[in-house]
Amino acid sequence: MTPSGNLVAGIIVALVVAASVNLGANPGLFIGGLPNLWIVAEEMIQVDPGLVPDALLAMAETIQMAFVGTMVGVAIALPMSLLAARNIAPAYVHAPVRALLAAVRTFPSILWAILFVIMVGIGPFAGILAIIMYTVGFVAKLQYEVIEAIDPEPMDAVLAIGASRLQLVRHVVIPESASHLLGQLLYMLDYNIRQTSILGLVGAGGIGFYVITYLQFFEYGKAAVFMLVVLASVLAIDWASTRIRDRYIVRPYSGP
Amino acid sequence: MDEGARPIGLRRIIQMNDVWATYGSGHALRGVSASIESGSNYAIVGRSGSGKSTLLRLMNGMLAPERGAVRVGYDVPDARGRRFRRTLRTIGYIPQNLGLVKNTTVLRNVLLGALPRLGAVQSALGRFPEGEVAEAERVLASVGLGGMGHRKAHALSGGERRRVAIARALMQHPTILLADEIVSELDPGTAREIMGLVSEAQRRTGLTAVMVHHDVSLALEYASRVAVISEGKKVLEIGVDGDSITDFQTGSQSTREAVEAYSRDA
Ligand SMILES: Nc1ncnc2c1ncn2[C@@H]1O[C@H](COP(=O)(O)OP(=O)(O)OP(=O)(O)O)[C@@H](O)[C@H]1O
Ligand SMILES: [Mg+2]
Repeated sequence: MTPSGNLVAGIIVALVVAASVNLGANPGLFIGGLPNLWIVAEEMIQVDPGLVPDALLAMAETIQMAFVGTMVGVAIALPMSLLAARNIAPAYVHAPVRALLAAVRTFPSILWAILFVIMVGIGPFAGILAIIMYTVGFVAKLQYEVIEAIDPEPMDAVLAIGASRLQLVRHVVIPESASHLLGQLLYMLDYNIRQTSILGLVGAGGIGFYVITYLQFFEYGKAAVFMLVVLASVLAIDWASTRIRDRYIVRPYSGP
Repeated sequence: MDEGARPIGLRRIIQMNDVWATYGSGHALRGVSASIESGSNYAIVGRSGSGKSTLLRLMNGMLAPERGAVRVGYDVPDARGRRFRRTLRTIGYIPQNLGLVKNTTVLRNVLLGALPRLGAVQSALGRFPEGEVAEAERVLASVGLGGMGHRKAHALSGGERRRVAIARALMQHPTILLADEIVSELDPGTAREIMGLVSEAQRRTGLTAVMVHHDVSLALEYASRVAVISEGKKVLEIGVDGDSITDFQTGSQSTREAVEAYSRDA
C-alpha cells in the first residue's frame, strides 16, 4: 500500500473506533448477550403448529397487498416514465416529473406506511398505498432509464416522416422498451412482498402485524411460526420468479 | 427522366444555396450548393465524416442549416414545424442504420410508413386499417419479402433489413427518397438487387432519389448525377450519361475511371 493509502486506512480505523466509543457500542455486550439469543431460540423452537393456518392466511393477505400495490404502482409509473424521459418529453415536463419521482424515492416504504396509517387508519389499505408510492418512484426511474437508452435511429426515422409524438410512443418507444417490463414487474413484486411483510410493524396490515404483536408479548414461539411462513413464501416466490424470468424474458437485441 | 413523371410541379425539387451546418463545434458542412432535378437519382459520395449524412438531414429538416437556404418544393424543411409536416409525409427517409424497430414484426415496421396519414386515436391504439395492412403486404411482396411479415425485425439478414426499410419508405407513397448508405456492406449482387428496387420504384412513381453511397462505382452505375463531398464541401459534381461524364464545375468531359480515381483521393 502507498503511504497515502496507509494514512487513509488509518484515519478510517480511527473514525470507526471513535464513533463506536461515542455510541457506547461495546463488543463485550455482544458476547455477553449471546446466551440471551439462546433463550429466544429455545422459545422459538416451541413452535405452535396450530397457528400455521392463521399464518398462511396472513401471508395471503400480504401477497394480495403487494400484488395490488405493485400493479397499480406500475400502471402509474409507466406514463410517468414517458413524461420523465429526456428523449421524449420536453425539459419543462421532464424536469419537474423527475424531481417529483426523486422526492417520492427519498422515503422508504415504511415511512410512507406511517404516513398513510395516519391518513387512512390502521389496516392493509395504508400498506397498499405505501407500496404504490414506493413502486411508482422506483419503477418509473428504471423505466425512464430504459427509454432513454433506446436506439435513437428508429425514433428519428419515425419523426422524420411526420409522425406524431403519440405515434412515436406507441409504435417505437413501447415495443423497444417492453422487453424489460416483465422483468421489472417480477422483480418489483418479489421485492414488494418482502417489504409488505414488515409494513405491519407500523400497523399497515399484512403478516408483520402479527409478528410485532407476538414479539411485544414475548411469544417468540408464535412469532416464529409467522416468520417461518414469511421465509418459506419468500423463497418460493424467488424460485418461481427466477423460473418465469428465464423462460419468458427475451434478451433485448442490440446492434443495427 | 421523362417529363410526365414529375410529382411536384417543380423541375428542381431540392435546392441548396451556400449551406453551412454545425453540430455545435466545428462545421459539418461549409457552403454546399446543390440543385436536384425532380425524378432523378442523385448520389452523394465522399469519405467518412465528410458530411454526407448531414446533407441528407438538411433535406428533411431534421437539422436546420446554420447559414444558407434549403428548399424542398416550395417549402423550407423543418421536421419540427407544423407547416412542413405535410411535405414530410411524402419524403422517405432511411437513416444510416435503417432505423427499424427491432422488437416488432416486419409488417409493423412497414406500416410505420402509413402513420402520418392515420388518425391520432386509431394509431394510438396500435391498430391499422385493413386497407393499409393489405397494402403493406403488397409492398413487402414487391421488395421480395412476401410472407415474411410476421418475422421479428431483429431476426433478419442485412439485405432483408434493407428491403424492410425500403418497403417502409414506399408505404409513404414518397415523392422523394433520402437513403443513407443503404447498400454499404452488402455483397455486390445483393447491393444491385436493392438498388434495382429503388430504380423500379422510380420508374413506377417518378420519385426523386437522393442516395449516399460508400461505393463510387455503384453511384456511377445508378445515379444520373454524383456529388463528391470532402470536408464539408462539394468538390465535384458530375452528370453521368452512359460512359460519358461531365464535370459541371469545369465543363470538361471525362471517363468513369477518371472520376473513380478522383473520388478515391477526395
Ligand atoms: N450528432 C452529431 N453530433 C456532433 N457531431 C456530429 C453529429 N453527427 C455528425 N457529426 C459530425 O459532423 C461531421 C459530418 O458527419 P456526417 O455524419 O455527416 O458524415 P458522413 O459523411 O455521413 O460520414 P460517414 O460516411 O461515416 O457516415 C463529422 O465530423 C461528424 O463528427
Ligand atoms: Mg453518414
